[in-house]
Amino acid sequence: MQNNITLDKLKKGERAIIHSFRSNELPAKFYELGFTPGTTIQLKHIAPLQGPICVNIIQQDSLIAIRKKEANLILITKI
Amino acid sequence: MKRKTIALLGNPNVGKTSLFNRLTKLNQKVGNYPGVTVDKRIGTLKANAKEYRIIDLPGTYTLFPNSLDEEVVFNILSNQANDDFPDLTVVVTEPSSINRGVVLYQQIRELGLPAIFVINMVDEIEQKGLHIDYTALENYLQTKVFKTNARSGDGIDQLIQNFDIELKPYFGAVDLPQKYRNALEDAKQLFPLATEYLTWQYLAQDNISSLPLEKRSALQTIRESHRLDTQELQKDESISRHDTIASDLMSIVAKKENKRLSTTGKIDNLLIHPVLGYIIFFGLLFIIFQAIYSWAGPLMDSIDTLFAFLADSTAAALPEGPLSALVVNGVIAGIGGIVIFLPQIAILFLFISIMEETGYMSRVVFLMDRWLKPFGLNGKSVIPLMSGAACAIPAVMSARNIENPKERLLTILVTPFMTCSARLPIYIVIIGLVIPDDTFWGFNLQGITLFGMYILGILGALLSALVLNKIIKSIRKSFLIFELPTYKAPDWKNVLNTVWEKSSGFLIGAGKIILAISIILWVLGNFGPNDRFSNPQPYIAEANPEFSQDEIDNEITAYKTEYSYLGYLGRGIEPMIRPLGYDWKVGIGLLASFAAREVFVGTMAVVYSLGEEVDIEDEGQRQTLFERMKGEVNRNTGKPTYNFATGISLLLFYAFAMQCMATIGVVKRETGSWKWTLIQTGFMTGLAYLVALVAYQLLK
Repeated sequence: MQNNITLDKLKKGERAIIHSFRSNELPAKFYELGFTPGTTIQLKHIAPLQGPICVNIIQQDSLIAIRKKEANLILITKI
Repeated sequence: MKRKTIALLGNPNVGKTSLFNRLTKLNQKVGNYPGVTVDKRIGTLKANAKEYRIIDLPGTYTLFPNSLDEEVVFNILSNQANDDFPDLTVVVTEPSSINRGVVLYQQIRELGLPAIFVINMVDEIEQKGLHIDYTALENYLQTKVFKTNARSGDGIDQLIQNFDIELKPYFGAVDLPQKYRNALEDAKQLFPLATEYLTWQYLAQDNISSLPLEKRSALQTIRESHRLDTQELQKDESISRHDTIASDLMSIVAKKENKRLSTTGKIDNLLIHPVLGYIIFFGLLFIIFQAIYSWAGPLMDSIDTLFAFLADSTAAALPEGPLSALVVNGVIAGIGGIVIFLPQIAILFLFISIMEETGYMSRVVFLMDRWLKPFGLNGKSVIPLMSGAACAIPAVMSARNIENPKERLLTILVTPFMTCSARLPIYIVIIGLVIPDDTFWGFNLQGITLFGMYILGILGALLSALVLNKIIKSIRKSFLIFELPTYKAPDWKNVLNTVWEKSSGFLIGAGKIILAISIILWVLGNFGPNDRFSNPQPYIAEANPEFSQDEIDNEITAYKTEYSYLGYLGRGIEPMIRPLGYDWKVGIGLLASFAAREVFVGTMAVVYSLGEEVDIEDEGQRQTLFERMKGEVNRNTGKPTYNFATGISLLLFYAFAMQCMATIGVVKRETGSWKWTLIQTGFMTGLAYLVALVAYQLLK
């Protein structure tokens, strides 16, 4: 699908649904904090110069920060 | 009768600590779990005509451990023989993260433990736009659900009344994918008595420290024969559980717009703004350090006065002699040397704990991660590094919540480079001696130098992290994930409790070592091997025939110091420190400083025979010490001992050398390894020697 991108490409304010993962290397803590397929997220903040990003996991109303490197392993569909 | 043990379990930021403080009414103590130094918080509660033991387990999102803290949780809950194994587990959640609380709750029940469910911060239900069907939730969880507000105390009594609740057996289990069935059956053979879910946990974790080695290797064999990857097992459980819970709770917890999050969003637009965020953070840092020095000053003065008074009155009360000298100059001066740092440490931890309580600290981690990552550190290293500016001991301990073992080790190894408050008196003395009290472009040169020393500490920490990062091999990949909690007003009880815990921990932990060392130093400095120490007058008269009786008497203390055991030691290391521009007297100061830096000023005062009680804040006494030190001539070079070159060399040495027994002890405990502790001590001291050597040779 055309809208399938990795999470690190999402722009501030955009919403997306987590689709799948590019690798099994993602630590289990990511799933525990809510990065599971089908979850709706919104990008809230981006730290400058390739710093971490802050994502709102809409369903559980939480703000989670992760690095771009791991965001690059998460495939999403923009909505 | 055995007391019932109640364990509090929950995610970070759900107000679990506030609840713990409420339940125990601060009737608690902090110790260590055996083998690891994760804080173990245990309290007692008298209620229902008996006494309960309450354990506040470290915050966690799941039973699968990611860090040392979380490993403790699993080890306690998975082992019935553990002393802290609870009779009842209280799973604590807050309204917006009920789903995540249910994950933990189900894991606990599937392990076979009785548990009740608490929704804390109930006052936020309305604000967060939630509607919860409690009866349905109780039916779903097959337990009692309690609503509490730990800050106001609402619902606490009801919770306590139910601590003896008898729960029906729990039915239900997570849907484990069929592909793991065979492996799980194999693993069950190893643990015939364990519940199926516990066996699954064993199978899905890499290194379970609580299991005997042969079980661990048997598990490894099963994993290999079925080609299992623990990460994948954990992932599959997480996703399966998450999906089921999300659909099950859909009808139980209804959500509307979250007002709280939108306020947090507005604050965040400012506080983690790509430019403003940094300006605000550094502005705040500036204010904190300003506060530390200006607020702590008067407190430190009064502590100093108090100990001077104690010393004087003890000296007056005890008969003169070695015992009185030991008590006054060894014990009281030693304890005074520690207590004097308490105000600075307390103030720093006051700020740090406010930053943590309000949720701002996670924002700092967010802002700083990008700048610390290139050095092999982690955004979470900010907290230890900042605390290191007060004292490395609690700072090293605060590195515990860094998940990646390598980043945690690196953080611990470099934190002692930060300019701790113990370095300050030494810097003040030496800068006062060798840096002119002039202004440069309107700035005081001495002030600039002192500021430079702080920068040097930060550079030392970062650059050595860079070097060590290349050397240390990583076991696990580096990653970062953390929650940014909604902003809250701090719970002042928690803040004060943290400040108290950290300060008293420092006082007792560091205190024991510093006290022991100051007694040893006192003994070494007050006894000598031969006649030159015990009967110095004839020797002084012989060496200086022109001296009058008064002059000889003045010289006695200095002469005795030179021929005490400490003096012999100082002269013993003189060949090593001569290239740095120091003589044996400075050598004594250096040796003494290896116990703790703050001993230096006191030792110098002894060596230059001014008596122990030099108050560096007191203008007159400081001038006397300065005059005396300025007049000193290094008998190797014939130049003043404290000239520009030796001064800079000394400053650099103190900036980098590992000169604190208490820190060495804490690093050993935290890393669990003598190897890394010794590497750190060697690395820091070697670097200090090298830099001081180069500086002196270039400047002399």
